[in-house]
Amino acid sequence: MNRGDINIDELLNSYIDAELTQEQQMEVRRLIADDDQIARRLQDLQRCKMLVACLPHAQVPAGTLEQIRASLQDRTPSRQTLPFQEHRETRQFSGRRVLAAATMIALMAVSTAVIYSIFAPQGTADRSTAGTAAATRFGGKLELTTSDLTAVDAFISRVIRDNELSDRVHTAGLADRRVYSFTGGRDALTLLLSDLATIWERFGSARLIVETPKFGEQIVVDAVTAAQVAQIVKQEHWEGSIRLAKDFAVLNSMAESLPGREILAATGEKKPSLITIPKPVLTGDGKTVKNPAPAGADTKEVELTIVVRAPKVLGP
Amino acid sequence: MPSEPANTGGLPPSGVPIDDATLVQQWRWGDSAAMERLILKYQNRIYNVILKICANPDDAAELTQDTFVKIIQGIDKFAGKSSFYTWAFRIAVNVTLNYCQRNSRIALHSLDAEDYDSHPSTGAGQASPFDKFRAGPERSQRALKDFLSDNKSPDPAVVAQNKELCDIVVKSLMRLDDAQRTVIVLRDIEGMNYAQIAKVLDIELGTVRSRLSRGRSRLREILEAMSG
Repeated sequence: MNRGDINIDELLNSYIDAELTQEQQMEVRRLIADDDQIARRLQDLQRCKMLVACLPHAQVPAGTLEQIRASLQDRTPSRQTLPFQEHRETRQFSGRRVLAAATMIALMAVSTAVIYSIFAPQGTADRSTAGTAAATRFGGKLELTTSDLTAVDAFISRVIRDNELSDRVHTAGLADRRVYSFTGGRDALTLLLSDLATIWERFGSARLIVETPKFGEQIVVDAVTAAQVAQIVKQEHWEGSIRLAKDFAVLNSMAESLPGREILAATGEKKPSLITIPKPVLTGDGKTVKNPAPAGADTKEVELTIVVRAPKVLGP
Repeated sequence: MPSEPANTGGLPPSGVPIDDATLVQQWRWGDSAAMERLILKYQNRIYNVILKICANPDDAAELTQDTFVKIIQGIDKFAGKSSFYTWAFRIAVNVTLNYCQRNSRIALHSLDAEDYDSHPSTGAGQASPFDKFRAGPERSQRALKDFLSDNKSPDPAVVAQNKELCDIVVKSLMRLDDAQRTVIVLRDIEGMNYAQIAKVLDIELGTVRSRLSRGRSRLREILEAMSG
């Protein structure tokens, strides 16, 4: 099809969609009357449009309003933090633009910095912001896939019960997934993550999505480990969490793509044990050890939605 | 085509329709019932658009919830320069396209796996993406061929009731790139005009025209290939 035909197509589509002026419509009618090929093309496009328009109109699942209401009840306090967040937008994403434009050398520099921050004494990574204003709430979503959804769900439910986290975790089950919405303190979440770490190898994929103060913007950390999630969440300031999430996103991406996984080899560690979660929990044989959430750690400073789903198969 | 949606969901107990701008204002003043009316008004339409873009009912349900949570959290940023309708759909489309981007690899793998499953004797790389539809129910293929041909008069009601044919159309839509699919869904499923689509996607009117034109043209090619 040549360039002229493409313009005629646009004209015909606009005609079908009633997006032409009276004058243009008359011009199209004249074209159709004079040229059989154009008339046939118009029919083709009309049928194509009709096929899509005829698709059945699906109804949203029952209870959607209630679920939105429940989500809002969990999240309402976070709206109060918005004014603080707006001031940070520019700084938050300047690093991201730099990363997008950086060469491999720059990426290596970032990974070196990450490796340093991993092995440096705790708190070093966030020293610049330590001791300043009150902590800002962390918000994110952890997406996990497993072929053993029932067993994993049973395990997580037991962890929630044993760690007395029931009042901080709202659970929901759909056909192919389980959703655990955690709202609470960092320590309580670390308890949950440390138990999850013991079955991490059962997850086919793990992705952390960290909300940022910029509306609609998120940091996505693929192939994330439980230890990385804990490290990101435990940052006292949201800025620190976002910075670390970006670093891990780059590091994991490089670790996945580089031949021979040089970065992991350089550390002399296997990826899952690159960082450990500092909580001694014995969970052999898939059993969890009862370990109640720390008293006084129920400040709602962290929101993490954990979605565990069966491997996706695209359907109609 | 409708330029603005009818107020079917924004009915207060009195039964008198209230426009979106008033509901948004009432919501900002703290009337949570106004917010719920807006959700009830748009939830099915937003769900439908999301479903036709992502093609997975469970994900569409989750993304619909995410959309409304973002709408509610971001209502303070809604300046009223555009209509609530286009603003809400803008959020829905952004949420869905972000999802599509994140899951593009998985989606492609799933489609490939489906193709492979239908051809266990052939290698995954050897099967054409359209082969499975050629091998599919002949009735649907014939219906599609009839519909696409110039000789028969199409009956939209018959098409809507033919589930296999609808499945083929949905899968054909999924073969388009995200940008073209989104424009077609907003136009042909949601019934937006070009100006509204331009606002929702934050693109020029000319871009809407060209994407729609290329999308329909491509869709036609895919459907013809599937009709055998």
